[in-house]
Amino acid sequence: MKTLLRLYAIVVLLFLLAPLIVVLPLSFSANEMMSLPVRDMSWRWYRDFFADDHWRMASRNSLLVGLATMVLATSLGTLAAIGIRLGGRQARVVLTLLCLPIVVPSVIAGLAIYLVFAQLGLVNTLAGLVLAHSVLALPYVVLTVHASLRDFDPQLLRAAASLGAKPAMTLRSIVLPLLAPAIGAGAIFAFTISFDELIVALFIAGPEQFTLPRQMLASAREYLSPTLAVAAVLVSVASLLLLGLYAVLQRGR
Amino acid sequence: MLDEILAVGNTRANLARKSSIMIRIPSLVVLAIAAMVSVGQARDLTVVGFGGGFQENARKHLFQGFAASSGQPVKDDVYDGEQARIAAMVKTRDVTWDVVMVEAPEMIRGCEDGLYEKIDWTVVNRGKFIPNGTATCGAGAVGWGVALFYDTKRIGNGPMTYAQLWDTKMWPGKRLLRNSAKTTLEIALLADGVSRTDLYKILATKVGQDRAFAKLDAIKPDLMWWKSGAQPLQLVGSGDVAFAVGFVGRTARAAQDGAAYKLLWQTLLFSFDFWTVVKGSPNTPQAMKLIDYMTDAGPLRDLAKDWAVSPATAAVAQDPAVRAKNPAMVAEHAEEGVFIDTEFWVQYGDDLERRFAAWVAR
Amino acid sequence: MRPPSRGWLLSLPALALVGFALLLPLGLMLVTAVRDPEMATALPRSAALLRAWDGTGLPDEAVFAALGAELPLAADGQFIGGVAGRLNFERAGMRSLLLRTARARPAAPFSMALPALDPQWADPAVWHVLRRASLGVTPLYLLRSLDLDVAADGSVQALPSDQSVFLALFARSFAIAITVTVVCLLIGYPVAQAIAGMTRRWSQMALALVLIPFWISILVRTTAWFIVLQRDGPANGLLQWIGLIDTPMQLMFTRFAVLLAMVHVLLPFVILPLVVVMRRIDPAFLRAAASLGAPHWRRFVSIYLPLTLPGIGAGALIVFMLATGFYITPALLGGPGDQMVSASIADYVNVTLNWGMAAAISLWLLLGTGILVGATALIVPMRRWR
Repeated sequence: MKTLLRLYAIVVLLFLLAPLIVVLPLSFSANEMMSLPVRDMSWRWYRDFFADDHWRMASRNSLLVGLATMVLATSLGTLAAIGIRLGGRQARVVLTLLCLPIVVPSVIAGLAIYLVFAQLGLVNTLAGLVLAHSVLALPYVVLTVHASLRDFDPQLLRAAASLGAKPAMTLRSIVLPLLAPAIGAGAIFAFTISFDELIVALFIAGPEQFTLPRQMLASAREYLSPTLAVAAVLVSVASLLLLGLYAVLQRGR
Repeated sequence: MLDEILAVGNTRANLARKSSIMIRIPSLVVLAIAAMVSVGQARDLTVVGFGGGFQENARKHLFQGFAASSGQPVKDDVYDGEQARIAAMVKTRDVTWDVVMVEAPEMIRGCEDGLYEKIDWTVVNRGKFIPNGTATCGAGAVGWGVALFYDTKRIGNGPMTYAQLWDTKMWPGKRLLRNSAKTTLEIALLADGVSRTDLYKILATKVGQDRAFAKLDAIKPDLMWWKSGAQPLQLVGSGDVAFAVGFVGRTARAAQDGAAYKLLWQTLLFSFDFWTVVKGSPNTPQAMKLIDYMTDAGPLRDLAKDWAVSPATAAVAQDPAVRAKNPAMVAEHAEEGVFIDTEFWVQYGDDLERRFAAWVAR
Repeated sequence: MRPPSRGWLLSLPALALVGFALLLPLGLMLVTAVRDPEMATALPRSAALLRAWDGTGLPDEAVFAALGAELPLAADGQFIGGVAGRLNFERAGMRSLLLRTARARPAAPFSMALPALDPQWADPAVWHVLRRASLGVTPLYLLRSLDLDVAADGSVQALPSDQSVFLALFARSFAIAITVTVVCLLIGYPVAQAIAGMTRRWSQMALALVLIPFWISILVRTTAWFIVLQRDGPANGLLQWIGLIDTPMQLMFTRFAVLLAMVHVLLPFVILPLVVVMRRIDPAFLRAAASLGAPHWRRFVSIYLPLTLPGIGAGALIVFMLATGFYITPALLGGPGDQMVSASIADYVNVTLNWGMAAAISLWLLLGTGILVGATALIVPMRRWR
């Protein structure tokens, strides 16, 4: 029984990985054919990817928006999490409000944001994209930092205050160092959310602001070539590097 | 509610709970802000079309030709003819396109709706166009058409007419048509045996419209819809659809370049595209000059060497040398095809497109 | 630090961001679903007079005159499009009626000239449409997105079947979402059980394998299926190689492709919470039941399953919520009959430019999802899972 269950689990896990495993060799195809087995291997489509203006711009936009989102969401989210930990009765309400972006379906969030940003001239700008992505990433930063604050002893703060430390100093020299791991985790999370996000970008990004997922969608619809497989592989590798960063650092702790 | 929200969030956040890196935040803030500020600058004159081979060649001969002769940089962009994109720009006063290629009925309706500037006929020479080649807000650009095609590597003897396209027993597989009432309803009636001359008379009646939708209903599970002109070629090429009614220019070029596509010219439906200027474009004077340049005989003759263009500029359209060299010109097949009735679609477009969209979604 | 009760003020910047980029937009969306400004903007005098009209018979000459004077102005100024589109949305043929009237430039007496131009101007129903559009607020979009309409007498009635679409679309979306949720639970439950029963080392490895696809963009995974399921693609190649089929099958643009990819994308969302609750189950319970002679299936049904209920609830909830909002996966892999309601929200923005309809559909979708999620939360004790 137990062996059977495990065999089954392995099959399902393979199913989860299968399409990604299949796409990898296709990206090395020497011709336009997207079928297996791939006979001649080449870097042709990787060269195409890095030579193509669209893909280069999309990569640049994705990195830029991801980093800016990370900075904005992490700083605001960390501050908010500390506030919630310190706060009294309002804390629960604040936490609920900050977590709302998780439960709003992304199409609806995309539409709603578009309606406002269109009036403010934020549509077709990278800044608009960063604001939208930050709001989507914020809850994950808050939850991550808030979780690690549960083990945090508020007595430390009172001790610091009684020793004459100013609030800003307490924050810098006690709170932030203790929270560093969680903040780092939240930051990576924020970057990933932005890096993967497509639906909101679909509503508010013009061709100049195409991110990698947006460009992949355009490419899947317009002109299917192994370059798309290359993009899928590269985006996956980037995501996995971030995941790997966790694994390594976690072990180091 | 809070608990439910937290449960969802925690599942995702669980992943990131324990880790240990501290990222150098301040330097990144500076970097990101600097990079973003550097992006927002005044934009170049932007011309927008339907993409594909025409646009690639137009970029070389028309857009960059104008850029070279005027010293004004020209950028180009692609859309699928969605008027909503232009309407949104006008509505929010955030106009990022200047010159746009628009299909005839949409151009006339857009003109009434205030999406397009009136063409400045003191800049654009109105005398050079073929009859009906100009309108208040549009200067005739090029002819375009759609027709049935399939891949002879996968299908030996395919349907020759729209009536045969409806025979899903003889020829199984998905049929890919354009996602619009315009052209689709014509095709449905032609498939139902309506003659080319009666087509729009019948389509103007409720009975005729019901008849067209009933005909579409008959093979609804086998129908698919394309939005961008690249899709028919891609999906017929990959074999995921068996038959498609796609833009003839690209199909003819692909066949010429070696693809085994059979293009049935007798199924052609054709019309003209117009150059327009988006209402409120900050580059309106330049845009008018660009339109005048793009409809001049010289640049169009150069373009015709690389692409089977059917311009609305009389001198080129009627030039026997150009016509002889480009058998894939839409104008060369006007006799066998159906001219898409602009007036009809101006009048019935709104209602029929809405009914069509609801029918597709249902 | 300040006294603890004021500490929450540190959350203000974050709250401001959420307020600006989510709550304000959602609020504006609510307003957009009922706002009706076109008539009053393009034809202000006519709108004001129509608001004062009592609605019996035909309006008097003053209203006819205002409209007869304002329509040509709006057409010349190229701003007639908004109101023409708005009225045509409520009643087919209004657009061409307005434009034809504007072009004809009618003269006094207008109450004779307009009906002479087009008999529709003698139809009270046309004037009722104009009057309702003058009010500034309309239930039209909220009604239309449920396939309802306002009749001439102002009562609510169902749209004719050749125009109705949204009830079918909502039903299809929820059906797809429920199917995906159930399939995910059925596939994921035993997997979670297996992972929870492994030694720490192995279960960590297995969880990592679940997490890898979880971290990779939904679009990348959908794109991967897009490549795999093509007619000449790897899936058909494999099936032919095994000998299950002779000629390639139609896998793309089918409901099967949509469900397959959605299950693939959402499976990790049920496995993770299930593993968490299963690990917390004290094996002593099950041993106790076994020592009392309960057979294996009995122990599972009356002890194990109830204890995992919070995990099932959490997993199902997440999957269902995410699935109802799916848009790209059906758009890329499905046929026209597999599109979900999210696609029409996007279409109303990108193709039709009817923000009122897009907002109204969104509100109903949000409400429908909220009700179903709330109902689930009532049945399943979520708190215990946390």
